[in-house]
Amino acid sequence: MRVIGVMPAYNEATRIGQAIRACLPYLDRLVVVDDGSKDATYAVAQAVGDPKIVVLRHRINRDQGAALRTGSEAALRLGADIIVHIDADGQHDPAEIPKLVEPIITGKADAVLGSRFMGAEPQGMPLIRKWLLLAGRTFNTLALGIPRSVTDPQSGFRAYTAHAASKIAFTQNRKAHASEILRLVTRSGLRWQEVPIHVRYTADTLRKGNQTSDAFKIAWQLLLGAFTE
Amino acid sequence: MLIQFFLIVGFCLALYVTWKRWKQRVIPLLEAVGWSVLWLGGVAVTLIPKITERLASVFGVGRGVDLILYAAVAVLFFLVFKLFISHEKLERKLTDVVRREALGELGAEAKQQTSNSKQQGEG
Repeated sequence: MRVIGVMPAYNEATRIGQAIRACLPYLDRLVVVDDGSKDATYAVAQAVGDPKIVVLRHRINRDQGAALRTGSEAALRLGADIIVHIDADGQHDPAEIPKLVEPIITGKADAVLGSRFMGAEPQGMPLIRKWLLLAGRTFNTLALGIPRSVTDPQSGFRAYTAHAASKIAFTQNRKAHASEILRLVTRSGLRWQEVPIHVRYTADTLRKGNQTSDAFKIAWQLLLGAFTE
Repeated sequence: MLIQFFLIVGFCLALYVTWKRWKQRVIPLLEAVGWSVLWLGGVAVTLIPKITERLASVFGVGRGVDLILYAAVAVLFFLVFKLFISHEKLERKLTDVVRREALGELGAEAKQQTSNSKQQGEG
């Protein structure tokens, strides 16, 4: 099965080279989407120079959800059987990609979601973020109808089949895409499961990652999304 | 009172512009009628303010002016929300354009892949 990774990147010039090289052994191809970065992300990604890599560029910044969707479309056009979403900041461990795609390869699932809350404790995650994610889980259940059994409401490490991609047509440009994907995965008749993943937070990734106020922004984006075709 | 004079002039002007826009085929007839009802209602309330008091008592609000203020806040909220939604739609259209351009960079390789998959499917 052809496994193609999708890595959205915005101003990641200092980290993306290493992140790409770490992923390549586990993927057949990797689509990097430079989301209108102001730094040399695009050049650094291209400079890795491996034939497995395809580097695309958004002319202007459209945010993470939009870049992921562009990358996923590209992966489908490149003949992906399985699409893997992975962050460019190195907080996901590429060595866990086989674990993520295994239930799909063995025919047990159409979509597999990485979870930070299934025993593998995240390294360096602040307590406030844990509480927010817990609140996010409740919000997802009550407002979006996502089963309570989904333990991680905001994970960006996931895999799904090309067939499932047609049902996971997410449209949120910004951070709300994670909740939207969960909703589509769990309510479209797809077979899904969560697998435990390790996430490593550093001062750098925390500064760029979700902030406390983002929880309210995500709720607002989801509300607007419900009224937007 | 002077305020009544200015309000009525304003409503009449709005009425005139509404029907001018209909004549210019900028808005459909139904929309012109809807706006006209709103402007004429404004004229009626300005001339006979007691109407709002009667309406207010129906809704259980103390004064007619309060009812108008509450209604105005609700209408403004609705309009702002509509604005947010049209902004979101524009954002998504912009993303589509940016995405199409980015995927164009895939070029020949994707086309080759697509035709390979078709051949495999046919085989």
